[in-house]
Amino acid sequence: MKMFKTLCFASALLVGASTGAMAQAISLEGGQDVDMVLLPKFLGILVFDQANEGAQEAHAELNNPGELLFVGPTPENSVAGQIEIMTTSATQGQGAVMLSNNAGDQIVPSAKAAQAAGTKIVTWDSPIPSGEGEDVFVAQVDFGSIGEVMADMALSILGGEGQMAVLSATPDAANQNAWIASLKEVLATNAKYSGIELVDTVYGDDQSEVSYNRALALVDKYPDLGLIMSPTTVGIQASSKAMQDEGLCDQVKVSGLGLPSEMLSYTLNGCAPEFALWDFRDLGYLTYYTAYGMATGQLSGEIGETFTAGRMGDYTIEEDPGRPGSKRILMGPFTVYTSENVEAAAN
Amino acid sequence: MGHLFSRISPQTLRILALLVVLLAIIFFFSTQVPNYLNGRLFNRISSSVAIMALIATGQTLVILTRNIDLSIGSIVGFTAFATGSLISQNPDMAAPLLVLYAMVVGAAFGALNGVLVAYVKIPAIIVTLATMALFRSALVEFSNAKSITSSELPLWLVNFPNTVLLKFGQFQLRAGFAAALIVVLLVHFALARFRPARRFYAVGSNPEAAEMAGINAKATVFAAFVFAGALAGLAGFMFLARFGNITVVAGLGFELKSVAAAVLGGVNIFGGSGTVIGAFIGAILVDLIDTSLVRWEFVSEFSREAVLGALILLSVTADAVLMRRLIGLRANREKKLARAAIKEKGKTSEVNTPKQTGETAT
Repeated sequence: MKMFKTLCFASALLVGASTGAMAQAISLEGGQDVDMVLLPKFLGILVFDQANEGAQEAHAELNNPGELLFVGPTPENSVAGQIEIMTTSATQGQGAVMLSNNAGDQIVPSAKAAQAAGTKIVTWDSPIPSGEGEDVFVAQVDFGSIGEVMADMALSILGGEGQMAVLSATPDAANQNAWIASLKEVLATNAKYSGIELVDTVYGDDQSEVSYNRALALVDKYPDLGLIMSPTTVGIQASSKAMQDEGLCDQVKVSGLGLPSEMLSYTLNGCAPEFALWDFRDLGYLTYYTAYGMATGQLSGEIGETFTAGRMGDYTIEEDPGRPGSKRILMGPFTVYTSENVEAAAN
Repeated sequence: MGHLFSRISPQTLRILALLVVLLAIIFFFSTQVPNYLNGRLFNRISSSVAIMALIATGQTLVILTRNIDLSIGSIVGFTAFATGSLISQNPDMAAPLLVLYAMVVGAAFGALNGVLVAYVKIPAIIVTLATMALFRSALVEFSNAKSITSSELPLWLVNFPNTVLLKFGQFQLRAGFAAALIVVLLVHFALARFRPARRFYAVGSNPEAAEMAGINAKATVFAAFVFAGALAGLAGFMFLARFGNITVVAGLGFELKSVAAAVLGGVNIFGGSGTVIGAFIGAILVDLIDTSLVRWEFVSEFSREAVLGALILLSVTADAVLMRRLIGLRANREKKLARAAIKEKGKTSEVNTPKQTGETAT
């Protein structure tokens, strides 16, 4: 919880500093007609639907007579499907595409073509790694600070020292890799975490069965393992289930990023005592405001520009520290869930 | 012994060859991975293979008839979700009814494939490639972006796969694996002994001849797809019970894994020959290699897929060479026996047969 406070403090400082530098936050004028596309990694996942709810809320609030489309590929066709939808959006003359990128840099040519056709590309959740073909990235949290949050949860679960392993999604997920890199960085540089040893990183492809089997393989491979850290909602659930099924919860704990409604039972029975997440509705809401501002020309997308995103307050476009030369808007912070607050959040 | 050897069918020989490859792989990894050979390994592989064993069995039925089912993973995913949402809305539903529901839903999907392949005469690879995407999209629609979580499921269902039936030290025979094993054995003996089931082989090895022999080839192909669908539905039920958390990606990629298991298990991809037991061992091989590679320090995450592919190729090659050897050995033995018999005859009628020592030496 201390982490949570410092984060709030840090973001307060950030907002304070930027509003000090910029005289006035731009207030977006509603009612302008612009068609936009919200493009998730693929359809059928709860968090993306929550982002859509947030975007629809902002769409109604801004009185946009245009259309907000929620379209995405089917799960088995994610990469090719995203590129196809991006290409189609450009030819349809959409004002903006809001993309949670699952295609790595393979999306760049189609995104650039869309930009050339006058479509703004606003990424959210997962950015384009090289930053090419992207106007701005709406970051759910500071990617650098995720490492610190995960390290803090590990510290409290392991009680100061022990072995942990990471169970990620796919090896080419840009957000996952950035978070793991930041975790490694924090563990290596901060003496507070010197007792924690990160022994391995494996990939569960965001599928229950692969993640489940990988979690068990980790336990078999490292007899002294104390914690599996899974920064993905599918992985954290599958690992918790695997530990519970094999009666290993006393020996190996699970933590990472998860949805309260899906993690409730594992948090209450002690298999996954602590995990974190941010609000995907807010993320969709903020992303919509950003994309609307840019597509209607009210925002230029320059670094230092500040605007008001409805109920969420003021945000500033800044350089992305993780991807030099690229721009981001930082949402933050996130909530750490324990047995004390998980029940309230799950309902 | 020699007598026994020549009486073993080529199918049995193939299963023996596969077992040798399986043991070789286990031996190899036991020299590479610390703490490898123990009851835990058996428990891991047996629990995890229970689902793929059912899918590979269904896939084998289809491949036997010269077809392929690429939609089988999507069927598993859909039935897992549909079964999960049914039981979470009716928590008091009886277990046999739930299993029946899963199999009927799966069989309905299989019937659609079967009609298009057998009666509309569209190639199976095209039909099931399309239905793979269709069934998956149906799941995305049906799920409405919700997931099934294990907390919504009744305890008997979640506990079923891991219930220990028998225990020898660390080795546990769990209910999920036992159920899958029973199904595999039932299908195996039906195919081997039950006359109507022999039609799958007849249609696969020569459709024209089968028609002329009075077998309804269309109905047979249709039946293969329906059975495969029902088995995929059963696998969906097992998937639900084991993982509890079902999202729209459930069963993604199972179609290719099941084809790999069947082919590795000696099922001829051109139809007509192969056994369900073989496909079962093939499924064990794929699972074993996959699990062991994660634990092998030597292989990084990024080269694992490549190593898995190479090992599968190597196993298939080793199996093919071993098979040829065994069949050759047997043919030689038969030749030798025949020659000896001729010699006996020759002695009595006092006619000399020329010696052919060169042949046996090679």
